[in-house]
Parts: sequence; C-alpha cells; structure tokens
Amino acid sequence: MTVLTVIGVGNRLRGDDAVGPLLIDELSKVSASQLELIDAGSDALGILEYLAGREHILLVDACRMGKAPGSLVTFRPLERKLILDTDPLSLHGLGLAETLDMAESLHMLPTDLKIIGIEPDSIQFNGKLSSSVQAAMSLAIEKINDELFQLTN
Amino acid sequence: MSRDLDIKVHHLTRVEGHGNIIVNMKDGVLEKAHLSIVEPPRFFEAMMKGRSFHEAAIITSRICGICSLGHQLTSLVTTEDALGLEISEQTRLLRKLLVHGATLQSNVLHAYFLAAPDFLKVGSVFPLIATHKDVVLRALRMKRVANDIGDIVSGRAVHPITPVPGGFSRIPEKAELLEIKRKLLEEALPDGLETVETMKALAGAIPQFERETEYISLKHPAEYALYEGDIFSSDSGATAVKNYLEVTNEYVVNHSTSKHAKFNRSSYFVGALARWNNNHAQLGPEAHAAAAAMGLKPNCFNPYMNTIAQVVEAVHCILDSVRIIDKLIENGLKNEKPNQSPTRYGRGIGSTEVPRGILFHDYTYDNKGNIIEANCIIPTGQNLANIDDDMLKLVPQIIDKTKAEITLNLEMLVRAYDPCISCSVHMLEVDFIE
Repeated sequence: MTVLTVIGVGNRLRGDDAVGPLLIDELSKVSASQLELIDAGSDALGILEYLAGREHILLVDACRMGKAPGSLVTFRPLERKLILDTDPLSLHGLGLAETLDMAESLHMLPTDLKIIGIEPDSIQFNGKLSSSVQAAMSLAIEKINDELFQLTN
Repeated sequence: MSRDLDIKVHHLTRVEGHGNIIVNMKDGVLEKAHLSIVEPPRFFEAMMKGRSFHEAAIITSRICGICSLGHQLTSLVTTEDALGLEISEQTRLLRKLLVHGATLQSNVLHAYFLAAPDFLKVGSVFPLIATHKDVVLRALRMKRVANDIGDIVSGRAVHPITPVPGGFSRIPEKAELLEIKRKLLEEALPDGLETVETMKALAGAIPQFERETEYISLKHPAEYALYEGDIFSSDSGATAVKNYLEVTNEYVVNHSTSKHAKFNRSSYFVGALARWNNNHAQLGPEAHAAAAAMGLKPNCFNPYMNTIAQVVEAVHCILDSVRIIDKLIENGLKNEKPNQSPTRYGRGIGSTEVPRGILFHDYTYDNKGNIIEANCIIPTGQNLANIDDDMLKLVPQIIDKTKAEITLNLEMLVRAYDPCISCSVHMLEVDFIE
C-alpha cells in the first residue's frame, strides 16, 4: 500500500533539469511497494492532478537556490520564498512555483508536501547530468528512504 | 502628436528563453516595435541526429511539457511518411481523439489563466483565485477531463507512451472510452458552455483592433482540420504539406534568435483564429452558436479574438471527441499491433495543428532507420513576424494612452498568441535568505 508519493519534475533533455525524472527511473528499479512514483515531466501545472487524495508527497526538482551545484535542500513550499512569475506572457511561464501557489490558494496542498531541491550546474539542451548533480542523486535517494522509514515506523 | 516612448518589458528573465517587448518612438515616429525572443539556437537538429525511428517521437515529446502531444504526433506522422508506414483507421481516430484532448486542455487554460485575467484587468490568474474560485476550478475540471483522454488513449497525459510509429502499443478498452464519453458529456460539456457564458460576459473588454493578415492552417475536405490536411493560405489557397518550405520561408532577424516566417505578405498568422477563419464552415452548430454568443464572426481580423476562437474550438473538441468515441465503438475496437515494417527509407514531412498553430517536422532517415537530418518549424516562430506587424499598427493607434496602458495592451497582444517562449524549462527559483 502506498505510503509516500515521489514526483519527479523536469525536462529530460535539459542537462541537470532531468534530475527529477531520472531519480524516478532509479527508484523504479528498486521500488518498495509503499512508494508511488510519478514522472511529471516538464508540465508543472500537471502536478495539480496528483495532489488530491495523497497525504505525503515529495517533489524532486532542480532548483536555483544560489548554492553550489549539487547542493540538496529539503523544504516545505511555505517555509521558503518561491519566486513567482506572476505576469507571464504565455502558459509556458507557469512553472512549479506558480503551480504550488495556486494549489495553496485553492487549498489543494496536502499537509505533508516537501520539495527536494537540487541545485543544477547546467540546463543546456541535450546536456548530460553534471557530476555534482549525479552525486546528489544518491543523497536524494537516501533522503527519500529516510522519509519512508519515518512514515512506516 | 510628437512623443518619445521607450518600452522595454523583459519577461521570463529567470529562464533560458526570454520574451522581451521592445518599443521605441522618437518625436512621434515609431522606430521599433517588436517581440524579441532569445531562444536557445537550433538545438532540434542536433538532438535528433542519429536517433532511430523508434526514439524520434519520444525525444520530441519531451521538448516541451505543454506541447508534448503535438510534437509527438507530428513526429509520428513524419516518420511514417519517411518510412512508408501505413496506419489503420482506428489509429487515425485514436490520434484525432488525442489531438482534441490536447487542444481542449491548452485552449481552456489559455483562456482562463492568461486571457481572462487581462479582460478582468487583474494582472494575472493569482488574484482571480481569491475572487473567482469557481471559475478557476471549472478550468481545472476541464483540464482534468482532457488529461483523462491523454491517460486512457496515450498511457500518460504528459509525454505520452503508447502512440508509436505505425499505431498504438496499447488499445484502450471500450469501458475506458465510455467513461471518457460520460465525463465529456456530463462534466466537460456543461463546463464548456459555462465558459462560453463567462467569455461572453468579458468580451466587452477585448481590445478593438483589426489588422487583416494572411491566415495559414491545415485544411481537410471532410472535417475541421487539426490532425491532417493540406496547408491552406487565406491569400493563395492550398499547398501540399510536402512543399511546406515554400510557405514558411524562414529568415533571420537581428532582434530575435528565433527565425521568422513569411509567405505571400510580410507576415502570417497561425493558431485558433487562422483555423477559424479558414475552416469555420466545418464546425458544428454548437460551436457556431458559441462563436455567435461571444461575437466571433467569420473573417475576423482582430488578433485578440484568438482567445475566443480557442473557446469555440474547445466546444468543438468536446463534442467531436464524443463522436469519435462513438465511431470507435461502432467499428469495434481491434487489438491491432502497430505497423513497424518500413517499406522505404528517406525523407518524410509531417504537419498537424497544435493548439498554437501549424507545426512542421521534417526528417531524413538513412537505410538503417536512423535520422541523418531533421528540421522543425514551430507555430510561435511562424507568428513572430505577425506579432511585430500587429505592434507596428497598434502602437500609433493607442499612442495617446499612458505608457502603462500601452505596455499592457502590447502584453495582452503577445498573450493572445500564447507563444512558446521558453520551451521546457520550469526551473524553480528559491530565495534562501535565512
């Protein structure tokens, strides 16, 4: 039975932005049945579809946090200031920060939603994962296992 | 009047692609008015080279989370053209159902999340959540039904998995299709008609601006063309898709890294308004009633009305999806395997209408079924020259307004086209002031 939902966000074609979906690939090789894995790709607004009826969610995404590449920080969306693009020229301007803000206003956020943010090095098209972000993947998996352990024990 | 005006609106600066509005007027003479796009240069060809025909559509669907299905289907059509893969009637119908789902989703989100806040003069969708929560929830309900079509027919709503060259790797069950039909009729249709009422109430806030231009879309003899057809220009009529380069005529401009396009005039329009102008006669009575209610007439030359054409299309997509599901069930769902035996190798060209307009993919395969050359012309690239021409006509007409009002009018204009400004990066930016 599902205890924890992990949602990977990002574009697989853009260097370190791929870290969320790639982490879902990794976890699916060894997945425990208590983990629900979702690759949300790069449609941030689509995440709204996964919020209802889920209690514990971890979102994994590349985040610009002004830290060294590969740095991993776990935080709740309301604890930190997510920088919003409140006046986008296109639907393409609505990203994760805007989606979470919208979800919060609509009371759609589950009580336990955390973001595992990983600082990217490069998000060039067709780039590969940088070594620092590659290294952060194992930290992220550890973090997810810790969360699962806490929820099941 | 003699006036100096200097408008620079830098948008989306935190992501890789920028969309900047630049207007310069000196002593009442307009020197510059354009949208400058700073996209990563032509990554597409590099990304596709060496990929096998099994991979091409998977890669292209990942270019963008919002346009994933459009790129995927256009890629499949292109590969099938290059390799001589025939597809079945069932595949064609299932793909048309997918196109309807994607068009419904994108059009509705654009109308509610980008255009409605402009019409209500609230700046963005965020204040709307507090004041018009029911309307935002309606938009999300319609998005969900559209997503369900994607989930059931393509295996996944974003970056679909079951549409493959030559067909589908999984055929949906009859019960699944009937459940979508139920949601379309019981949920999406009432919400769609409510949307028409909402937009009708807001239509008075749509700027009155007209500029006749060339309208280009697909055209099909038997239906409102979204999935297939010939290229059709309102100026010069039909051109076969294989001759698309005669239509797009891409060229480089100094103010943008994205190429511009032109055909019979200095610019042309692609998207819902072009489809409406070229193909409105093929829409059903409900879509026509919606158009009439919202004040959209044939041969509409107001680019701001693109949003209204999108809502008309949303009504069409809901009802035509029901028709397609009925047809699939009437024909009897067949557990077909995709046809993946190439009968030739070489160049293939494909085109479909994606929500923002006509999209072209063009691949050349070697005799092992790997891509050696690829080209992709997206709707936004084709609309850029048209947006610039709109601005050149619009700015002198609104020059007596304040700078803030002019800026808003220009932003609304750009938003009406809903450009793909930065494909695919939704980097979360977090301020870590402890």
